[in-house]
Amino acid sequence: MALKKSLLIASAAWLSALSTLAEAATVTYDFDVAWVTANPDGAFDRPTIGINGQWPIPQITCNVGDRVVIHLTNSLGNQSTSLHFHGLFQNGTTHMDGPPQVSQCDIPPGQKLTYDFTVDQPGTYWYHSHTRGQYPDGLRGPLIVHDPKSPFAGQYDEELVLSVSDWYHEQIHNLLPAFISKGNPTGAEPVPNNALFNETQNLKVPVRPGKTYLVRMVNIGAFAGQYVWFEGHNMTIVEVDGVYTQPAEAEMIYITAAQRYSFLLTTKNETGANFPFVGSMDTSLFDAIPDDLNWNVTGWLVYDDAKPLPEPAVIEGDFDAFDDMDLVPFDNQTLLGEPDQTIQFDVIMDNLGDGANYAFFNNITYTAPKVPTLYTALTAGELANDAAVYGEFTNAHVLQKDQIVQIVVNNLDSGRHPFHLHGHQFQAIHRSAADEGTFDGSNATMTNFPQIPMRRDTLSLEPNGNLVLRFKADNPGVWIFHCHLEWHVASGLIATFVEAPKQLQETIKLPQDHLYICAAGHVPISGNAAANTVDLLDLSGQNRAPDPLPAGFTARGIIALVFSCVCGILGVAVVAWYGLAPDPGAAGSALQANGSSTDDDGQQGVLAAGDKSAGAPVQTVQTLVSAAGR
Amino acid sequence: MPDVFAVPVFVIVFRESIETVIIVSVLLAFLKQTLAGPGRDDQVYKKLIKQVWLGVGLGLLICLVVAGGLIGTFYTVGHDAWQSSEYNYEGAFALVAVTIITPLGVGLLRIGKMQDKWRVKLAKSLEAPISTTGSKAGWLKRFAEKYTMFFLPFITVIREGVEAIVFIAGVTFSAPATAVPLPVVVGLAAGILVGYLLYKGGVTAKLQYFLVAATCLLYLVAAGLFSRAVWYLEQQKWNNIIGGDAAELGVGPGSYDISKSVWHVDCCSPEFNGGGGWSVFNAILGWTNSATYGSVISYNVYWIFVMAMFVALRYKETKGALAIDEGEECTRRFHRPG
Repeated sequence: MALKKSLLIASAAWLSALSTLAEAATVTYDFDVAWVTANPDGAFDRPTIGINGQWPIPQITCNVGDRVVIHLTNSLGNQSTSLHFHGLFQNGTTHMDGPPQVSQCDIPPGQKLTYDFTVDQPGTYWYHSHTRGQYPDGLRGPLIVHDPKSPFAGQYDEELVLSVSDWYHEQIHNLLPAFISKGNPTGAEPVPNNALFNETQNLKVPVRPGKTYLVRMVNIGAFAGQYVWFEGHNMTIVEVDGVYTQPAEAEMIYITAAQRYSFLLTTKNETGANFPFVGSMDTSLFDAIPDDLNWNVTGWLVYDDAKPLPEPAVIEGDFDAFDDMDLVPFDNQTLLGEPDQTIQFDVIMDNLGDGANYAFFNNITYTAPKVPTLYTALTAGELANDAAVYGEFTNAHVLQKDQIVQIVVNNLDSGRHPFHLHGHQFQAIHRSAADEGTFDGSNATMTNFPQIPMRRDTLSLEPNGNLVLRFKADNPGVWIFHCHLEWHVASGLIATFVEAPKQLQETIKLPQDHLYICAAGHVPISGNAAANTVDLLDLSGQNRAPDPLPAGFTARGIIALVFSCVCGILGVAVVAWYGLAPDPGAAGSALQANGSSTDDDGQQGVLAAGDKSAGAPVQTVQTLVSAAGR
Repeated sequence: MPDVFAVPVFVIVFRESIETVIIVSVLLAFLKQTLAGPGRDDQVYKKLIKQVWLGVGLGLLICLVVAGGLIGTFYTVGHDAWQSSEYNYEGAFALVAVTIITPLGVGLLRIGKMQDKWRVKLAKSLEAPISTTGSKAGWLKRFAEKYTMFFLPFITVIREGVEAIVFIAGVTFSAPATAVPLPVVVGLAAGILVGYLLYKGGVTAKLQYFLVAATCLLYLVAAGLFSRAVWYLEQQKWNNIIGGDAAELGVGPGSYDISKSVWHVDCCSPEFNGGGGWSVFNAILGWTNSATYGSVISYNVYWIFVMAMFVALRYKETKGALAIDEGEECTRRFHRPG
């Protein structure tokens, strides 16, 4: 069902693209965001965020050069929301990028906001809520930008949009507090309950024989990267994340959360059988695999409805997926020059003073500022060039116009992380294998960068490995760089780039409705990260991450230990005092006893008592006590 | 070396056996001091000695059964069944041990002063038929009293033995099976040797000093046990919260509940990996690398209780009209209430 709909939309848009050709159009959507009930895996009815009463939510479709206008109404009632258009440059419209407290305010329940921007780039994108952890609840869908001038136009007959995703039975606002809590000290991310194709399972994709399809694949999932393969068919990759590539053959791809691949798939000439295709969640991301988890999802290329749908063959051993670093951009853009600015991010996971596990870039876990960073950049005047005004917990870096920026990411964590940069397609100039450690700029094998590096906007970083990215700061705006595992967004694996703040101040005029939702949500819109408008370098009162765990003995620990020791020593002393004190009842007799009794005497006393009859014991006690009393 | 001799296993066995032999040897020494010798209550002495050894023997037997059962369970159902509430058992065992040790200590100290009164009382209580007036609870109490010499070593052996088994089982998951038997034997031998020396020392050294020293040690152990009992129960709760065994997290963040923590150092754990020397420290002085409000407060409250008890006893002894009778009452209170 879902697929058919997107097919219809796609072909309709395609027709309109053909008819209007180079004419820029305005594509308008009215989105009423509200809860609906959905059950995509047939296991569990749950509240899901839909648009206009529907879920899966509609695909946004436009042509290169089109203006897209989205009138969003938040009818959720209990949650704020926002929309981010993943991969779009938003050149000149950074305030339409979506992340709350970065480039806009959250849209409170009952409020409206209009997203209005022009799309000047072709390819496969998607849109989703950027409000805290929210999109896995359903607010996620493909965004396709058709390109009449595509170098591959004419090489395919039809287009298919195929999303892969993961699905949770529990709502995020229940999962998140448990995830970031002292009860989850290892930071184990909630494991999805199922994987989906086009937000459903057992998807049937009708195909015709002897045709070539352009399959646009988007991972709109929250967490799981997926291995995807089509039995009996190869994929010819022609686009990643909106960047056309030289055609590359692949039998299997690995698509992380938020990545996209377009590939040509040529069907067989006969209709004798149907073929399964499989998405298999990357279980290495899961701390523990629940017993009842089926991490695979199957769909079928259906040549003939009457024929059976065969079960996919089990793949033995490790998956051997295509390495996206081998791709070559179609435009042959060469390696950017030496960087003007190199920024290194060391990724770690650690626990803070509240006992919960957080994610860190360089020992800073992102904590949203009081004022959206863009608004600080617009109102800080000259000081907008000083990263300090954006707060101590935003990992803010100021980039100047047209600088070449190099980002080095060292993974000091044992998990795989897909990193995404807003507003740019970066050159991926180096990626180590797993466990190769940190990047060493003096190591020639690491700095042997390709002359025509692969570009995309979301790149997977291997466990305990590193990667190096380069981009040109030619798009003024406030762009965040973050892990696209939605759990790690919530636990703080985010950095902020403030790109060309002076140009922003000159060019950006905030629409009234943006300011209005801030007022409705009581979010300050000027000043530094602490909303201080007078002394911009005074950050007192800023939002802070929890303090670090206390290291060993604090004052309270020392007091407790000393008190316990004193108590123990006193206690022992009292026991000894009591034990050694002479028995008052026997005191008189004790005086008569041999005062100089030695150890042996005492011992004899006891032993001697044994020789005597039952009438003797009192004597024994006296002797013994006097011996002990001395 | 690590292939045939897992040091943590040795330390565990040594520690657990020391805790057991302290109590057993003190009991034996006490019995010998008070009852042994020609012409004295030889029958009672033998009977009580028998009880002690019976307690030890039965305790060991149960440990062996538990060990067998555990090994069976570990290899059939997996090892999580026991581990999931391990600390609750440990805490309960520790609490039982404290409630036994605390009055026992008074008894030990009073041996010197009241030796024969005590002996007579003890003998009487052990010999005399149970009076028929008591309620059900009273009967149970008397029963427990009558067989103190049985129950104390019995409970102790079970507690320490089961603890040792559980720890060893835990440790052996990360050590080769060949590394287990030797340290177990050596640990036991070393523990028994210490016990024997204690026992020997106990019967030949100056009795009062020995008793006082032993009692001090006993109360140190008891205070630690009480604190640990609370700690164990809290730790079990924490394990339930994080849905696993916090010890698997090592000694770092997440191995303890920060909101209850008074101090925590990422080392020196008496629990992690057998605990090494810290587990001995823990057994005798109640050390923990991760103190909670509960464990610190319970440790101090226990000592304050013990101090108050002895001061009160002393006060009664010195100010009482008839010290001997008062002492007798105290003895009765602790050993034969009502």
